[in-house]
Amino acid sequence: MAALPGERASAGRIPPGLRNLVILLLLWEVVGHFGLVAQGALPSPTAILERLWIDRADYPRHIEATLIGSSLGFLFGNLIGVGAGIVFALSPRMLRLFRGVNVAIFSLPAIAIAPILTLTLTGMEPRVVLATLGVYFVTMTATVVGISQADSRATDMVRAYGGGRVKVLTMVQLRGALPSILSGFRIAAPNAVLGAILAEFGGGGDRWGLGVYLLGSLGQGMPTRLWGIGLVATAIAGLSYLAFALIARRFVGATRAVTLNAAVPGGDATDEPLASRLLFAAGSLALPFCFWWLFIWGTGAPWLIAKTPLGVADYLFFSPASASAQARLLHALGQTLPVTGIGMLVGLAFAFLLAISSRLFPEAVRAFMPVALVTQTMPLVALTPLLVLILGRGTSLTLWVTISVTFFPAFVTLAQGLALVPRSAVELPRAYGAGVWREMRMVTIPASLPYLFAATRLTVPRALLGVMIAEWLATGTGLGNLLNQSRGYLDYGMIWTVAAVAVLVSAACYQIVVLAERRVLRRLGMRTAE
Amino acid sequence: MAAEGLSLAGIGKTFRGRGRTVEALREVSLTCPAGSFTALIGPSGCGKSTVMRIALGLEAPDTGTARIAGMAPAEAARSGLTGVAFQDAALLPWRSVMRNVEAPLEVLGRKRDAHTARVRALIDLVGLTGYENSLPGELSGGMRQRVAIARALVTEPQVLFMDEPFGALDQILRRQMNVELQRVWAETGSTALLVTHGIDEAVFLADRVLVMQANPGRIVEAIEVPFARPRAPSLWSDPAFHALCDRIAEALTGGAVDA
Repeated sequence: MAALPGERASAGRIPPGLRNLVILLLLWEVVGHFGLVAQGALPSPTAILERLWIDRADYPRHIEATLIGSSLGFLFGNLIGVGAGIVFALSPRMLRLFRGVNVAIFSLPAIAIAPILTLTLTGMEPRVVLATLGVYFVTMTATVVGISQADSRATDMVRAYGGGRVKVLTMVQLRGALPSILSGFRIAAPNAVLGAILAEFGGGGDRWGLGVYLLGSLGQGMPTRLWGIGLVATAIAGLSYLAFALIARRFVGATRAVTLNAAVPGGDATDEPLASRLLFAAGSLALPFCFWWLFIWGTGAPWLIAKTPLGVADYLFFSPASASAQARLLHALGQTLPVTGIGMLVGLAFAFLLAISSRLFPEAVRAFMPVALVTQTMPLVALTPLLVLILGRGTSLTLWVTISVTFFPAFVTLAQGLALVPRSAVELPRAYGAGVWREMRMVTIPASLPYLFAATRLTVPRALLGVMIAEWLATGTGLGNLLNQSRGYLDYGMIWTVAAVAVLVSAACYQIVVLAERRVLRRLGMRTAE
Repeated sequence: MAAEGLSLAGIGKTFRGRGRTVEALREVSLTCPAGSFTALIGPSGCGKSTVMRIALGLEAPDTGTARIAGMAPAEAARSGLTGVAFQDAALLPWRSVMRNVEAPLEVLGRKRDAHTARVRALIDLVGLTGYENSLPGELSGGMRQRVAIARALVTEPQVLFMDEPFGALDQILRRQMNVELQRVWAETGSTALLVTHGIDEAVFLADRVLVMQANPGRIVEAIEVPFARPRAPSLWSDPAFHALCDRIAEALTGGAVDA
């Protein structure tokens, strides 16, 4: 997952990031003041602040509702995430068994299951669940990575005195994993806010919440209000990020190992018989569906509303309406998938080009980095209504949403990965008189490959989420629209089908990227970037 | 008598990597009498660290047996008979010097309070008085290594293992540490096994130097070191010292041709 590098502040001088921000704000003010963009859809900052002041009485209750949902989700998600992370780190078999569930949770486009949650749960629950899901994966991964990256020399020391698994965990690994877990929290915090807002998009008749407010203001032709809500949502997410970034910094200082660990990690035993490996693979595939069943059973929702996996299969293949359902689904997929693919490719390509050109124009990229980092804390997809204002309701909107939600995280991942390339590796070709281009071809581009894959893995679900939200809110095409329509028609079979298909498509794409990544990196003798 | 020290008999170990098997050790046998100082020397990758990891119970041998004071390694470790210092100190970065030295006591489930006096004495012994509350990150490389030595001694081990404990230090510091280690070891009277790739270090410290060669890892020669103890730094310029070093260097390279 994308983590911020040491956000270093150069004392004395005005940081270029701050300077650029001021320039950007001034530019925005001028553009907004004269209504230069999309007939005034981009209001000036001062106009937005003015509207914020006028609306100030509305905000507390909306903010409160979103905050409660996201805080509870943040709490549960972290509890489950850290607990599961510890179990997974201790037992690679459990990790393999739960791989299907983890991939499904990571790649599920939150908006796809929002209607299901509002159908089967009440009150705050949908928000809490979506926020929990958004938080769980980040924290779980951070815990597993933190624990498994514990200094093997220190664990050897404990084991050499006869310490068992528990001693190693309590004395070395958990404390050693703390910085990683804390940086997980900091990325998870904005995710919780995003999850809560997306659940609010899903409807459910709740009056309060920033998502509800945003959606309700979409038709009022008041750009300033929409922008105000967007800025408040961003501020909440950003502040929660900042809080955990500060806590993390306090701990990291004492925890960084003093010397480099050169020990080769013990290879996992792949001696396991084929039968047992197949069993685990099958179990890992079946488990998400078990959870689906469990969820329905747990909520006690009536069978008419809550469709089990069998119910969905029945609806899609055996019911009288199956032909029409299949046709509508395929039509929607045909609209959604190409846009998702193109948007993702363009976003990734931009990110890749910009990141590798950081060797050519380090100044320009350094100045851009703060902007990219800030967007990491923004619930970007929740701001789609703002883009609707500027771009209208056509396909270009969908494309722009997709590009923007993939570009920024991909760029941050790539730029941070490239910053880890040892200076000596870069300087070697230079020392033999190589030009910038040859150096790029020999070192920078190959070195960036693991991070390009990591970025692709990261952006697959985001791209699909972005497209579906744009379709749901604005364009009236594709899977997002099908989901929204089915909600209106009370077509429960289709709601569950779209959710299942969206998760399956996303998980399948993710899996394809992972397989390609393993092949390519193994051939190049590189390791997967976390 | 040997029952109190360390004995390995017929140790063999093979590692399986991706489609490749590496015979790391073949028929390695050694006996360290109680109170002796043995050095294990060999080129990189000859398996000398694996020998120590097997003796510590961190790895299980494929063939052969390891005994520490008549016990299986893991059992000996649990009863606190062994002490260990790794290359690169391997301190817990978030613990103070004092708490790092106490770490083995904690693993063994002993009361820390009962040992405070000895922990302080050990820190004094390795010359770190005044640094009890410093974090490893605030110490120099040599100081961190001394913390590791103090930590290795905190359980009053009968058998002391050291895996290139000064491998990361420069030559000057390394020699200082060798003199100190000799003093500390003499005071505790434990059985010591030192894994190293420094010839002069092995000769200066050990009663006996075991020379290993790679592919497969095995012990090819045992060379007694006759110099009287305590050994003074002047030994480093003694021609007899250099003659012995040359002999070991020969043993290290000599067999490589027919391997």
